[in-house]
Amino acid sequence: MSNKQEYKAEIVSKDYLNEDTLFFELKCPEIADAAIPGQFVNISCSKFLKRPFGIASANKEDGTISIGVKIIGEGTKNLSEIEIGEIVDILGPLGNGFDLDSFDSYILAGGGTGVFPLNFAYDTLSLMGKNVTTVFGFRDRSQVIMEKEGHIITTDAGDYGIKGNVLAGLDSLSISGNPCILVVGPTPMMKGVGEWARSHSLKCFVSTEQHMACGVGICLVCVCKIRSEDPNEEYKHVRCCKDGPVFDYEEVIL
Amino acid sequence: MSSRLNVKVGSVDLKSPVILASGTCNFGRELSEYYDLSVLGGLSSKGLTIKPRAGNEGCRVAECDSGMLNSVGLQNPGVDYFIEHELDYMRSLNTGVIVNVAGHSFDDYCGMVRKLDPFKEKIDVLEINLSCPNVKEGCMSIGSSPEQVKKIVSALRDLTTLPLWIKLTPNVSDITAPALAAQEGGADAIVLINTLLGMRINIKTRRPVVQNNTGGYSGPAVKPVAIRMVSECSRVLDIPIVGCGGIETAEDVVEFMIAGASAVEVGTASLIHPDAGLRITEGLERYCEDNKIENISSLTGTLELW
Ligand SMILES: Cc1cc2nc3c(=O)[nH]c(=O)nc-3n(C[C@H](O)[C@H](O)[C@H](O)COP(=O)(O)OP(=O)(O)OC[C@H]3O[C@@H](n4cnc5c(N)ncnc54)[C@H](O)[C@@H]3O)c2cc1C
Ligand SMILES: Cc1cc2nc3c(=O)[nH]c(=O)nc-3n(C[C@H](O)[C@H](O)[C@H](O)COP(=O)(O)O)c2cc1C
Ligand code: FES
Repeated sequence: MSNKQEYKAEIVSKDYLNEDTLFFELKCPEIADAAIPGQFVNISCSKFLKRPFGIASANKEDGTISIGVKIIGEGTKNLSEIEIGEIVDILGPLGNGFDLDSFDSYILAGGGTGVFPLNFAYDTLSLMGKNVTTVFGFRDRSQVIMEKEGHIITTDAGDYGIKGNVLAGLDSLSISGNPCILVVGPTPMMKGVGEWARSHSLKCFVSTEQHMACGVGICLVCVCKIRSEDPNEEYKHVRCCKDGPVFDYEEVIL
Repeated sequence: MSSRLNVKVGSVDLKSPVILASGTCNFGRELSEYYDLSVLGGLSSKGLTIKPRAGNEGCRVAECDSGMLNSVGLQNPGVDYFIEHELDYMRSLNTGVIVNVAGHSFDDYCGMVRKLDPFKEKIDVLEINLSCPNVKEGCMSIGSSPEQVKKIVSALRDLTTLPLWIKLTPNVSDITAPALAAQEGGADAIVLINTLLGMRINIKTRRPVVQNNTGGYSGPAVKPVAIRMVSECSRVLDIPIVGCGGIETAEDVVEFMIAGASAVEVGTASLIHPDAGLRITEGLERYCEDNKIENISSLTGTLELW
């Protein structure tokens, strides 16, 4: 079945969340319709390759999606200079996304730009009427973004919310039942939360980031390592963009 | 698509001169979600080796001004898996099935062709990749020695009646030498070019961007090099040439054909726009219509040098 396309999306809003992080809404009804949390889009904003960004929300009625962008280099800088009303080439929704069906309750743990895809997971789980707890960790108060009512916030500096990292936030929870942990953030954080989940015998999924080209699974530049079932090989390479970006923590080698 | 785009590469009939290049379309499954691949002349599989390969470690891509470096390192599931799980799928796409064969040694290439020859009903072409720059041994080092090219091609010629297209590396000083060697060995066509060896450096870490240190440069930046090589080879070869390197538009295809290509392969363009093959094919239809061209192959080799 050939039904996927590259789209042109109009920037309908643009806001600074802090000095180097922006939040955009883009008009793209097809992507808004099809997107599930954990998936991403690939956007033209640089000299040659597109750039991947997690989908931060989708509004089917308005036909819009949102993304959060931290400026780190040329492509994200260019994107930050795009104005409302301008058009970008966009591919999506891409990747596998989170499994939000198999569990009754979820704990979302995020840091860095990982809070964006988790925001979409939070919205969706809330709509589904599932039990969802959110813990976001930041360096200090000035970095706190995407906070919604009920979210548990931690700061390393201790000037807002719980002092410490995301693990301090998780330790503050009284866990009941068998919630599934979804964690998106810097690798050390995902490892920390993965180990925490393991020690509590909880299922945990992480969302990986790799340098990409196509974003659709045809070039094999974006591989992650997963444990192999074959005893003769140490690991297997799988595509972050197509087989991921979400993987079972027990399966992926971070 | 109309018959205006039908071309012949030696004995091989193709619906269109537009083929998707190896390593930029996997085995067709992902791109067939974007368009019906039967509009294409063919699809060249990911480079296959006798045993599965995990490919290179670490970062495998570096963006460049008008292209990219890749150092995938021939990650592939191996030829046995391909035969069992991907070949029938490729055949079902109703387009030319080109199997890209890579290796580290003379024996590897022979072993590969022995394994593939029994499936000749399902395969249109064996594309012998003597040009991958991203693996330590074999491949590119074989392709840059005319003696070795001739030796391998003649050996493979004895093993199969399938058309053999020899894909050469541009990382040589005289491209006509390996091209002529391939022709003497019994090649049916030459594919020009694979990627140019390149390097990008992260100036903050003073380390190469790709962990393999070097990578293969592809995309629009390499197009002039490819066109020059197609033109040089077309003046000395009797066998057809399949042009490749930086093609993004129908006009690029026309340029390659005028230079001497009978067909072309589109690589990196599909990584930027998944439907690049379709856009280019539609553009070629329009080009033929606008210029009253009955068959696109009338362009091949019409270059007049100054
Ligand atoms: C699945 C996925 C989801 C992502 N979601 C978000 C998000 O929601 N918000 C956000 O701000 N960022 C996100 N990122 C990271 C974002 O893609 C990079 O920050 C961005 O590509 C950097 O581009 P640049 O040109 O500004 O940086 P440069 O450093 O100049 O980029 C150079 C090259 O490296 C690549 N690159 C650099 N850092 C990364 C990285 N962390 N991941 C992947 N490629 C990288 C670039 O794509 C480019 O090809 C995500 C990455 C992935 C893989
Ligand atoms: C990511 C990537 C992977 C590639 N893998 C292969 C391969 O497996 N075998 C091969 O013969 N060529 C491979 N190539 C080379 C292309 O087929 C093509 O020859 C080259 O990229 C030049 O064409 P382009 O500029 O249109 O991409 C690869 C290129 C890229 C960008
Ligand atoms: S970016 Fe091309 S396969 Fe993942």
